[in-house]
Amino acid sequence: MTTVRVTQNMITNRSLSAMQAAQARLAVSQEQLSTGRVVNRPSDSPTAASVAMRFRSAASQQESYVRNADNAMSWLGTIDTTLSGMSAGVRRARELGLQGASTGTTSPAARAALAAEVDQLKESLVSQANATFLGRPVLGGLTPGATAFDATGAYVGVPGQVSRTVADGVKVRVDVTGTDVVGPNGSSLFDDLETLSTALAAGDDTTIRSTLASLETRLTTINTVQADVGARYNRVEAASQTAKDSIITLQTRLSEVEEADLPATAVKLQMQEVAYQAALAATSRVMQPSLLQFLR
Amino acid sequence: MTGSFSSLNTALTALRYHRVTLDVASNNVANAATEGYTRRRAVGESLGAGAVPALWSRYPDGLDAVGGGVGVKGVDRLADGLLDARSRSENGRSSCLQLRSTVLQRVESGLGEPGTTGVAAALASFRTSWHDLANTPESGAARGQVLARAEALVDAVHAQAAAIDEESATQRVSLLSSVTEVTTRAGELAATNRAISAAALDGVDASDLLDQRDQIAMRLAQLTGGKAVTRPDGGFDFNVGSVALVSGVQAGTLSVATGVTASGAADGNPVSLTVTLGATTTTTGALGGEIGATTELLDTTLPGYASGLASVVEGLATQVNGLHTAGYDATGATGQAFFTFTAGDAARTLSVNLTSPTQVAAAATPGGVIDGTQADRLAATGAAEDAYTSLVTGFGTTVASAQRLSSTQDLLTKQVDSAREQLSGVNIDEEMVTMLAAQRAYEAAARVMTVVDSVLDTLINRTAR
Repeated sequence: MTTVRVTQNMITNRSLSAMQAAQARLAVSQEQLSTGRVVNRPSDSPTAASVAMRFRSAASQQESYVRNADNAMSWLGTIDTTLSGMSAGVRRARELGLQGASTGTTSPAARAALAAEVDQLKESLVSQANATFLGRPVLGGLTPGATAFDATGAYVGVPGQVSRTVADGVKVRVDVTGTDVVGPNGSSLFDDLETLSTALAAGDDTTIRSTLASLETRLTTINTVQADVGARYNRVEAASQTAKDSIITLQTRLSEVEEADLPATAVKLQMQEVAYQAALAATSRVMQPSLLQFLR
Repeated sequence: MTGSFSSLNTALTALRYHRVTLDVASNNVANAATEGYTRRRAVGESLGAGAVPALWSRYPDGLDAVGGGVGVKGVDRLADGLLDARSRSENGRSSCLQLRSTVLQRVESGLGEPGTTGVAAALASFRTSWHDLANTPESGAARGQVLARAEALVDAVHAQAAAIDEESATQRVSLLSSVTEVTTRAGELAATNRAISAAALDGVDASDLLDQRDQIAMRLAQLTGGKAVTRPDGGFDFNVGSVALVSGVQAGTLSVATGVTASGAADGNPVSLTVTLGATTTTTGALGGEIGATTELLDTTLPGYASGLASVVEGLATQVNGLHTAGYDATGATGQAFFTFTAGDAARTLSVNLTSPTQVAAAATPGGVIDGTQADRLAATGAAEDAYTSLVTGFGTTVASAQRLSSTQDLLTKQVDSAREQLSGVNIDEEMVTMLAAQRAYEAAARVMTVVDSVLDTLINRTAR
């Protein structure tokens, strides 16, 4: 459109709208600089906003997985320590049994002392098997009670799996059922120790030997379970590391999508400031002169 | 020379004419910044140069070209009806898009997305609380946290639904006031039409009335996107939504028929408007302008977002309830519904049904055992977050497109307005030149008088001696 006539109002309006446009652009850069983000509302860039919201939700999911994994590692760590302690206890009981079984070297008084120590060992093993994490017996399954085994060594837990989700769709069992470690009620590790103690007191060599063989099997069971727990611990640790890595990746990408490139924005702001000042200067120059100033 | 004094008369007409030119110029300068003012121009015509040879022609020797001075033919109002009509229709479209864009931006900034507050964050922290409960199902604190986060989620959803309702209420009130303004303006236009027709009969200059008419028509176009039709007498008829609102001196009444009650409440129907002109009441077609934008917001955009939010919330509540009632709470009893809501209006009516932390069903097995399996399943409900993200970004796309449309239309409107200003606006330099020319011409005419006077003086006073 060719401009035939220019009026003062046209100049005023054009200057005003040019200055307003320059100021609006300044305001956008200023907002981006002061919030540090280029996506301040969905309409700034619907795609980026959608990506940002998804990343944020995924990051919170991964943070949950990290917390779950930490919790799982505490459970498995507690069980590992417990099993090491129990394994040492069972080995000591075997040594005591062997001492008692060496005929001729042991007097009735010494056997009684050995039997008393086996009784002590049994008590200590029961209390170790009742190890807790945050008040829950780690060998007790789903039990609402405070112990997995009662004072006599009978299993009182509720069998069931305690699992933690450590990645999308990956659940890891973090408990061990008590009976899988010590055997079922009636023929458990504690029953063996009871038998050993009685046999030592009575000097019943045959029973002592058969019990020693049984304790050997118990030891193997405990070690197998411990190896399994260790393997699970490694899995959880790897999952936790993956989740931590993906949190960092997500946050990096979130900031790429959402955050303002500060130097670029600052330079842009500087340029817009110059443009705004130019608009102001041009307006002041254009609005001033009129024929009136030259007529006398 | 047929008359001794005819040159004096000629000079007198010149003095009169240039006075009028000065008057018009000073009026233009006075109104240089007046909104809606159209510049005027005095049009002169030379007098006495008869095109038809007459018997008593003053110059028998054929010197007819010398006239009898100058007269004012009229005062032109420099306006172009077509340009004005174009400007009205562009302004109507522009005000429609601008209002729509402004309101949508306001609603959008109320959502608070993307960010660390708002519904998305509440959804995420609700889900996280289930993870924590799955880790420590024996802990009363973790159960309490699930309930607290659920309450926070309910509050966030309610706040968003209330913001949409609030905006709808504002738009309903603004619709009512716009409709009232249309009726008032229609009355003013009819009164102006009457004055214009009277001025035409009296032969009085109607320029100011025409300016007024154009301004009223412009405002009506901004409000309704309607069209003005020029009448033979210079007035405007005005149609809104293909229904006559103003016809000559008769003004109609625009009113809201359905959609909004007189008190500004919603009546559940789509908005429809009627025009009562004389004894007939007609339902209008779709309107443009501000009323059109408000109607569109009230009928489509705002309810669309509200129902989208409601379906996201309903989906979440149904999923959580389904899993929760399949679980068992701390006492071993079957889980109750976690949320309650009214179907179809979930965003406004959502509330947490549980009253005590022990009622949170974390266990998948009955009997009061300590189990977090069900809580773990509840933590895997991410569908609501995805649905909410696509709802929000869909709305963001609507807002972005409204902004783009509005700024494009704004450019077009500015261009048309500038073309109109080119024709009708006052240029002070130009008026100065006109004034200067008039001043010099006035001085010259006065000089003519002096010269004629001195010629006559020579004739009368010196030749008789």
